[in-house]
Amino acid sequence: MRVINHIREIRQERVITQIKMAEDLHVTRQTINAIEKNKYNPSLELALKLIQYFDVPIEELFYLEKSKGE
Amino acid sequence: MKNKKLQIFGWVVIMLCMMIGGFFGMYIFGEDPIKYVMPIIGGLALGSVITLILYKWNKKRNGNIPDVDERTLLLLKRYLMIVLYVVLFGSGAVLLVLYSIGVHSIETGMLIVYMMVLYILIGVGAIITKCL
Repeated sequence: MRVINHIREIRQERVITQIKMAEDLHVTRQTINAIEKNKYNPSLELALKLIQYFDVPIEELFYLEKSKGE
Repeated sequence: MKNKKLQIFGWVVIMLCMMIGGFFGMYIFGEDPIKYVMPIIGGLALGSVITLILYKWNKKRNGNIPDVDERTLLLLKRYLMIVLYVVLFGSGAVLLVLYSIGVHSIETGMLIVYMMVLYILIGVGAIITKCL
């Protein structure tokens, strides 16, 4: 099961650029892009930082992709 | 502050190694290393200045965004793991092929060239991986 996230939607809602987010979270812009495209799953530390940064519950930011049977 | 100190220490060690390498290379070639003090030190100084300018320019362009993060390290780890096996088995395969076509001895100079090409390729690959 893949981990999907809503980071791009939330970021765009709050008018935050990828560069600003990268600066605030001390990661590269490429990492933000890879996370938003679901190409890279952040470490637990970075995931917790993201939750703190957006101040949203974890299930709003990350969720497991549902398989066909579910 | 600790990082800064480590950076300067690393820089000094690399400079010293390059200088020793330069003199040692000249000695191996049979030349008098003392004759090449100025070119070696001058080249090192020029290289350092260019690197410093590029570093400052990069810092100014990227602001507080770090050069390396958890994803970069993961990518580099995977890259180096692949490189390890490619170099190990690739070199082995090259040796077997050379032996099978009748090359039974290799000149040390050729080995030096092979290692140089290998270092350059691995270095360029690492830079590309870092930028991904």
